[in-house]
Amino acid sequence: MAKHDTPMLDELEKGPWPSFVTDIKRQAETKPECWDILGQLELSFRDKITHWKHGGIVGVFGYGGGIVGRYSDVPKQFPGVEHFHTIRINQPASKYYSTENLRKICALWEKYGSGMTNMHGSTGDMIMLGCRTEALEPFFYELTHDIGQDLGGSGSNLRTPANCLGQSRCEWSCYDTEEACHHLTMHYQDEIHRPAFPYKFKFKFSGCPNDCVAAIARSDFAVIGTWRDDIRMDQAAVKEYIAGNYPSNGGAHADRDWGKFDIKKEVIDLCPTNCMWMEGGELKIDNSECTRCMHCINVMPRALRPGAHQGATICVGAKAPILDGAQFATMIIPFIEVSADNEFENVIEVIENIWDWWMEVGKNRERVGETMQRVGLPTFIKVMGLEPLPQHVREPRSNPYVFWNEEEVPGGFDRNVDEFRARHAA
Amino acid sequence: MAMSIEELKAAILNKALTAPKPQLYVKDFYKCDPESKPRVIKNAANDLVKEGKLSFWSSGSTTMYAACARVKNEEGEKGVN
Repeated sequence: MAKHDTPMLDELEKGPWPSFVTDIKRQAETKPECWDILGQLELSFRDKITHWKHGGIVGVFGYGGGIVGRYSDVPKQFPGVEHFHTIRINQPASKYYSTENLRKICALWEKYGSGMTNMHGSTGDMIMLGCRTEALEPFFYELTHDIGQDLGGSGSNLRTPANCLGQSRCEWSCYDTEEACHHLTMHYQDEIHRPAFPYKFKFKFSGCPNDCVAAIARSDFAVIGTWRDDIRMDQAAVKEYIAGNYPSNGGAHADRDWGKFDIKKEVIDLCPTNCMWMEGGELKIDNSECTRCMHCINVMPRALRPGAHQGATICVGAKAPILDGAQFATMIIPFIEVSADNEFENVIEVIENIWDWWMEVGKNRERVGETMQRVGLPTFIKVMGLEPLPQHVREPRSNPYVFWNEEEVPGGFDRNVDEFRARHAA
Repeated sequence: MAMSIEELKAAILNKALTAPKPQLYVKDFYKCDPESKPRVIKNAANDLVKEGKLSFWSSGSTTMYAACARVKNEEGEKGVN
């Protein structure tokens, strides 16, 4: 029986689509505090303002992340959501769960919280929505001691690292994303659980340029698998695709008849750098022009594979549009070896160079990509101790703006700014 | 020459107790000792949290530090918690 009248929310149950209102009503049958979520949301719709206050000193002892405090600003009206804190749980690498594990977590959340979850947050964590302050410590104890899972990151911490399925299921993965993600998660436990930075910092690991965890768009530090030699080709398999004996895209679009496979129309003409052609019945690729878009490999997986010399590209500085607009990551290191044999030490070295600089130079609430934008890419590259590369420039063959410092030019040069300004006003 | 850890912790705590605003970013503590590396200052502030002298104040997206007694008073007065 509904505790509050919610005419506006009830409208959201009328379409043919699933409704969160229906879900919360069902949950409220066993967790009555959920009626107050609906009541408060209806009030927010009416007042056109949120009635949640977020933030505070709430947390579990010793941790500066993983819990997001949330309170109602109308607790007398809605006592069930007076405290309604969010808990972030570090998801297993690649989100591999057993149903036994999921049942344990859900049972624990029914015991201490509202039972409502968000699977998953955009960083990857399992999000547990709604519990009182006094339930946090017992929940945390049982989560860590009985289930063997830990909280994820929040606030100005290293956020919970995320990765694609990697070599566990994908033949295109150019490095072991699960091992990399797990190793760095364990290596940086202090940074995940305690604030260290001017703002949030996210790692994501994708095994190939298909970038299934959207690392290039959503992480401050994206490790995206790539190769530095030639795409491996099986010309006999190319012929099978042309003859229609192998389904394109691994049969992913087989739900309707798209006509006979046309390698020119579907592969060659769609290559963004025009680096493919047919010659003497064979497919040719100018690998020096390949930008690793993966389209040809996706269409003809039995004929084309990533090269054999594999590693990763490191891109830095993506972010969602909270302050400035959304921003893609910038390619910083075109190729780096990524190996568990050396405990990922070359990746760690890059990470810590960035952190040391950003912790010093970054402003409060400034993502590393915004700091890079503020100081400029040339300064960032110099601070990182990297050699500038053509790949750092979006259009290396057409951009005429090349700046040289005096010490970079043999013999140096004399420059009198006053004399220059006399001729060219600023 | 950089401060010792104990000197640094005392300077951080003093800053947290006397700053106009109760909540401070970790960068606000950098000025306590310009000779110390940011990571050393961060670790010293986190030690003070373990000792129960500072507490984390998190908005969810950003984490700040506050002197325990001070933030409890502030929140009590405002009725935040």
